[in-house]
Amino acid sequence: MERKILIVDDEAHIRMLIEQTLEELEDEGVEFFAAENGEVALEIIKEEKPNLVFLDVMMPKMNGMEVCRRVKKELGLDEVYIVLLTAKGQEMDRQKGQEMGADVYMTKPFDPEMILDKAKEVLGIT
Amino acid sequence: MAQPTLKSVLGKRSEITAWLQSWAAMNNASIAVEDNLNNLLFGTVPANKLEPYPVMLEGEVAGNVFGDTNVSVIASLLSLMLQKEAEKKKLGSEVLSLYQELNVIYNFSEKLTETIDPDVIAKLTLEQAIHSIPSQSGIIVLWDEAHNQLAIPAAFGEPLFHEENLKLNPGLLLKIGISGQSEIISDVSLLKEKGIIQNDVHSLIYAAMKVKHRIMGAIILAGRNEEQYSAGHLKLLVTLALQSSTAIESAMLYEKNLREVREREEAILRIHEVTKKFVPSEFIRSLGKESLTDVMLGDLVEKNVTVLFTDIRDFTNLSEKMTPEENFRFVSSFNARLGPVIRSNRGFINQYLGDSIMALFPEDPEDALKAAIAMQQAVYELNLQRRSEGLPIIKAGIGMHTGPLIMGITGDEHRLDAATISDTVNTAARIESLTKYYASPLLLSGETLHQINLSNNYQFRHLGKVLLKGKNNLLSIVECINGSPAEKLDKKISTIPLFNEAMQCYQEQRFENAIQLFQDLLTTDPEDYTANVFMEKALKYLKHGAPENWTGAEEMMSK
Repeated sequence: MERKILIVDDEAHIRMLIEQTLEELEDEGVEFFAAENGEVALEIIKEEKPNLVFLDVMMPKMNGMEVCRRVKKELGLDEVYIVLLTAKGQEMDRQKGQEMGADVYMTKPFDPEMILDKAKEVLGIT
Repeated sequence: MAQPTLKSVLGKRSEITAWLQSWAAMNNASIAVEDNLNNLLFGTVPANKLEPYPVMLEGEVAGNVFGDTNVSVIASLLSLMLQKEAEKKKLGSEVLSLYQELNVIYNFSEKLTETIDPDVIAKLTLEQAIHSIPSQSGIIVLWDEAHNQLAIPAAFGEPLFHEENLKLNPGLLLKIGISGQSEIISDVSLLKEKGIIQNDVHSLIYAAMKVKHRIMGAIILAGRNEEQYSAGHLKLLVTLALQSSTAIESAMLYEKNLREVREREEAILRIHEVTKKFVPSEFIRSLGKESLTDVMLGDLVEKNVTVLFTDIRDFTNLSEKMTPEENFRFVSSFNARLGPVIRSNRGFINQYLGDSIMALFPEDPEDALKAAIAMQQAVYELNLQRRSEGLPIIKAGIGMHTGPLIMGITGDEHRLDAATISDTVNTAARIESLTKYYASPLLLSGETLHQINLSNNYQFRHLGKVLLKGKNNLLSIVECINGSPAEKLDKKISTIPLFNEAMQCYQEQRFENAIQLFQDLLTTDPEDYTANVFMEKALKYLKHGAPENWTGAEEMMSK
């Protein structure tokens, strides 16, 4: 089975960090995609139907909440597992994120181990 | 760190892929790319499989490009892209490890804010250090300034350190302290010689804990393997030590402040307890205040109270035979016996005046009477003891009067005192001094008597009226005999009718009859000194005649 992870963040270094964190999954044949804003992210999600999306909330053009809402509510892509990422101190967004259909919620700076564990769990890699 | 694969360069959404497609179309070239495992990544490999052009990464074949001769340039280009990708990955890996470190520090700071206990901070620090810098054992040592010795607030992992030997050799740690350096120690032989660490320790790393150049201690980690620690570890340990030092310092300051506040509170409480003894809390409460600190100059309250005075008879005589110190001790022990009696009868001592006590009973005049009777009994018991010690016995006079009284705070802004201002006080004091005149130990005014429940079996003798010096109103004086010792009480009670009859004759100036009756009484009770006083007066009036306009009242010329 083809497994795909999409990383969405407007900051290049965060995309790089997440990709680097998940490096070992490449050996498992996981394919990585990256997007620097919500619009691009939505396009990739529609075309590729990734198993897992790490989605930053605060982004230009279309924010993560909106991307999440469209994927889950409009496109009905329930099988796309969405991890919302927000800067620490903005945890009040948590409830809103859940309303938008996010599967889980993590804060930045993130703990790399947690990101890797989450990805393995979602993709069923032990 | 794994090397990038050709697949990651030629991904589905990669710009290179798009570019390669347009290049192939433009040059009408057929190109195929395979990775080193012969997975097809781009194009279709022609059946006649042309000569491959290898894509190289750091001397290794990462894949092959198939096509015309001019595709060799594509192989070179992909090699270059792969090289760039490798560099990017290397950079990414370094950034990630920095990020991980940042995350550790971030989480650690967050944990530190959750506690203000220095020992807990030390334990958290050590746990974090061992988690981030894999070690078999670790300790934190702090210099305890108060006790001038090393303290070990945290130890973790296997017992590779010998704590007692460490404490015995503070010099070694002092060296760390003086240098203030943090380092990886490769030669641990000296520490082993001193028995500070176990023989199987082969790596040691430590970071000094300091606040503003002052060394407060160190975090020390030990490992069983050679070269277990790297420069990166040292950097992280120094960061943790620095953060922890500041937190421990703050926590210690906080503890110190807390201790000082507690000590101050205790001191204030002690002062409060003492002031309560100097100014009775009943007095403060009567003014409607909670504490002495709420009291203000001019505060006052008017109440109907019973004022009681006690005095030691012939104290001057008694005190002449004592040194000033003995004197003081005597008065103190006397007061110590009477104070509890007053308090247990809802009264409070307003003032000590040498051998005299002034007490107030704000609730019920009967409280004062009960207290007075109990005080007479206390004096009697004291005398039993004194007699057995060959000391002269003590006689005390008690007088009381009931009336309005103003309690208030007088003085000036620099010197305040709780004062009672009232004629009631003066009158009570005068009644107390009448106990000498009438040779009676317990006297009360008619005003007090009126407010006492007579059904309570008190025994009274009316001693007539007096006109106190400087006063216009006559005052009834009543004697209560309940304070007499038990063996004398019955005799006193049985002679009350005789006494009353004699007093009536006396008042009516039938002095001969009065003298006869008093003599009869004294035959029965020779120790009735009060009866004797009146008999003497009757004898005097019989001989010299009563004063003109005599009403039977005594006119007191002296205070």
